[in-house]
Amino acid sequence: MGITSGVRIGPFEVFAPIQPAVSMVRQYGEHHFPGRLFVVEGIDGSGKSTQLSLLHKWLESRGYGVVFSEWNSSALVKDTTKLGKKKKLLTPATFSLIHSTDFADRTERSILPLLKAGAVVLCDRYIYTAFARDVARGMDREWVRDLYGFAVQPTVAFYFRVPLETAIGRLIDARDGFKFYEAGMDLGLSDDPEESFRLFQGRILDEYEKMIPEFGLTVIDATLPIEIQQASVRQIVKSHLAAAKEVRVQP
Amino acid sequence: MRETYGKLLPGMRLSDLAGKLIVIEGTDGVGRTTQIDLLKPWLEELGHAVLDTGMTRSLLAGDGIRRAKEGNNLGRVTQSLFYATDFVDRLENEIVPALRAGFIVLTDRYIYSLMARAIVRGMDPLWIRSIFSVALKPDAVFYLRLGIEQLVPRVVFSRGFDYWESGMDLYPAHDMFDSFCNYQAAMLAEFDRLSEEFHFETVDASTDARTVFSHLKTKILRLLEEDSRDAFRTLLSTRSGESAARRIQEAAVAAERVAAERCADARMVPVENLNLLPAPVAVHASNGNGHGALPQK
Repeated sequence: MGITSGVRIGPFEVFAPIQPAVSMVRQYGEHHFPGRLFVVEGIDGSGKSTQLSLLHKWLESRGYGVVFSEWNSSALVKDTTKLGKKKKLLTPATFSLIHSTDFADRTERSILPLLKAGAVVLCDRYIYTAFARDVARGMDREWVRDLYGFAVQPTVAFYFRVPLETAIGRLIDARDGFKFYEAGMDLGLSDDPEESFRLFQGRILDEYEKMIPEFGLTVIDATLPIEIQQASVRQIVKSHLAAAKEVRVQP
Repeated sequence: MRETYGKLLPGMRLSDLAGKLIVIEGTDGVGRTTQIDLLKPWLEELGHAVLDTGMTRSLLAGDGIRRAKEGNNLGRVTQSLFYATDFVDRLENEIVPALRAGFIVLTDRYIYSLMARAIVRGMDPLWIRSIFSVALKPDAVFYLRLGIEQLVPRVVFSRGFDYWESGMDLYPAHDMFDSFCNYQAAMLAEFDRLSEEFHFETVDASTDARTVFSHLKTKILRLLEEDSRDAFRTLLSTRSGESAARRIQEAAVAAERVAAERCADARMVPVENLNLLPAPVAVHASNGNGHGALPQK
């Protein structure tokens, strides 16, 4: 970004404000960087993290420079999010804003520079998670889409589609209890965490379904065996790496 | 009925926001804080309950922003959104409840400073406006304006250079002084643009603090006389009458203490003489020299 020399006011040389390179309103900056960005989306219990981790190992074994970025993990912001969740300070609006702040830090600090550097960037959850959750919490659909206007458009966004009951079954097997905000307990839908989770995640599923055509999400049937899902994920990813030889780390 | 700049947050009711939202805006070093420290006890002396708030004072994000700024590695989009988080937390948890309870909310900066900072840092003006479309439209925005020639020495000679006030994240190639001048000039230009768009009332901040205070008092009295006294009376005579009066009494006690410390020469009436219960409201009118008349016994 260039600084243009401007008018002289008093004894001082004055510079014009830096102009935005591109519009930040809903461009989702279609990038032309050498890197590739693959993201996984889906409700809790859809198995998306398992699939991403398998993809990660496969890409590394093939010699690509791979970087992983997780939702809600910015070192600068996550203490604030933790404080908000622990003390239950978050409203739908501040929940939305603090997550966008976290995402902005990861975009500015790692995702964007790494794509420029030619890395394969993998994200566990992306802007679609925010769109689904925030709208399910009552935030304005357009406002939330504007909020993330600075985001880079992924090369492929995988959506792991799973029926609610299957996801709940997996979660109950895997751990005890549902977390407060994950179950949408802040919305007062039900006093029972499992019932609240069911209602809230149901809303989220509805939002995801609407986003499939809106953002061209690539749907993977998450009820299929893990190996079969992974095979289709790898095939799709592979087709997008063909023209990206430069991202490969030379042995 | 109160309005926002276009979007409504979930659960926010705009009815019954009887208080007044008064914004003090301006670049660094124009004396906003000094004026709020003078205005608050003055308004309380007149019988108004006052909430003062300002940037990075939210319970949720205040500490987080301060920590993030220490490292000087806070990105431009990230800082815009971090400040927006802080603002909305205060909007929902301080400003709106206070307005509903009939308080005068004095805010040291509002969305305009946040917009100016973001725009000067290259953010898309449409993007930042969309985020702050959830903010309430204030009753008045007083823009304390100081030309760049006066602003620079005032800040530099009183508290020295600050990394962020100098826009060092923007103009790192220059030294602190050059960077400061460039940044503050860019901010001033942006404030002047916003001033037209959002109809700020400009107050010349180049005179001494007492004169600025006197101008602000005249403007605020005019604003309060418009309709607030009626709303205030209704509030007192109906449902929350007693608790409102109690709050005013408490506020007056606090105001007396604060004012005694801050402006030793201000004329004060002992709080026990205010006779706030049960029939209250201090009569305020300009007595011609810019000072409000004292409450009648």
